[in-house]
Amino acid sequence: MWPKFLIGVVALGAAVLLPGAAMAADSCTEPSPDCVAVAHWNFSVSLGAGVRTNPLVGGENIPLVVIPQFSYYGKRFFLDDLDLGFTLAENDANAFNLVASPGYDRVYFYRSDLQNIFVNPLSGGAVGAGGGGATTTTPPGSGTGTGPVPPTTPPAVRFPARARHITYLAGPEWTFKYAGLTGQVDVLHEITAQNHGNEVRAAISVPLVDAHGTLAATVGITWNSASIVNYYYGASNVYTGGSALDPFIKLGYTLPLRGKWRFNAFAQYERLADAIANSPIVAEHHVVTTFVGALYAF
Amino acid sequence: MTPAARSGVALVCLLGWLTLPVRLDAMNAQAGGDDIRLELSPRICMLGSRDRQCDTRVQASWHASHEQSLCLVIVDRPEVKKCWERYSEGTYTIELVFSTDLTFQLKDFELQQVLASEAIRVIREAIQYRHKRRQPWNVFD
Repeated sequence: MWPKFLIGVVALGAAVLLPGAAMAADSCTEPSPDCVAVAHWNFSVSLGAGVRTNPLVGGENIPLVVIPQFSYYGKRFFLDDLDLGFTLAENDANAFNLVASPGYDRVYFYRSDLQNIFVNPLSGGAVGAGGGGATTTTPPGSGTGTGPVPPTTPPAVRFPARARHITYLAGPEWTFKYAGLTGQVDVLHEITAQNHGNEVRAAISVPLVDAHGTLAATVGITWNSASIVNYYYGASNVYTGGSALDPFIKLGYTLPLRGKWRFNAFAQYERLADAIANSPIVAEHHVVTTFVGALYAF
Repeated sequence: MTPAARSGVALVCLLGWLTLPVRLDAMNAQAGGDDIRLELSPRICMLGSRDRQCDTRVQASWHASHEQSLCLVIVDRPEVKKCWERYSEGTYTIELVFSTDLTFQLKDFELQQVLASEAIRVIREAIQYRHKRRQPWNVFD
């Protein structure tokens, strides 16, 4: 219901703005934080110290030490780390893209997932039980999504181990910038035939201090349909969750340094919905990501 | 432009004197017909797609047929001034940040007459730009 509504909103916005907005990027005449060169690769690496907590039972936190990033922008096509996109229309304030992006919850199950190298957004879910899926025990009848049951409660059954494959989601994306506010709404559908689920990603960022350095606060949500939640956190006859709405808040600070260096620090807190947190393989109700370091743009 | 932003700019300098040993044999009739030759190195700065401005060390050298008293200045850079009294040649090296052509001039001591002039040309790669994807949902945005 909700994804269909948002798809409609994004489509309507694109329809309204498309006629006059097709690639009207006149204000981009030189490199700036908002503008990039067409047909050029961009590489950067962040060096520092950080961590992403892992809410899975027995899951190990993910260290953030060296974080490479890359992007390529064609006239309409773009590659942004592991995301692919095609810009339908854009002007100074709005952009409508079609994007394909990996499903992120896999990062909690496989430390080798590329998204643990090219660190990207948080999403609901939890690493640690890599190599084919987490296992834990839970009593029979607890698979209704009504709440966690102490794992020691007898009789217990084994939470079946299984693989969580790499998935990709695709759909429209609307990004905007008004009066200093920067927003993003993605309405995505899983296209790799693993769970056929839907996901909505939305966030809005506001600069709190914008001087030589920039301090910005971001609030956002990730909504996953039940099929995605259960692909990662469910088990037949053991646990079935519903859809999950995970809100997050982030505080980030960036400061240009000498040369191509930039200081970067942020902290993000994401609250996991009950549908995820109540899964027997999830131990934490939240995910925290922090990082302090320096970014070098090649 | 902040100093940090300036220093963050990559620079590609073409050493123009290798391929284009242009000299400005600025015989200034107003100055009495003395031959004064001013040379700059580098003579060209090429900005790449991610460069905003040149940030480089510039060497200015001059030679005259006989002793002169003169000053080296840069147009629109009043803070830069180097003078010589009764010399037939001189060299001045300075770190400069600039985004447009930079004109060096040799003037008399009173800074009234231009005895020689030469410029460093800034050449920008013809690049098309577009908006970068905005991703507040991305933890690293």
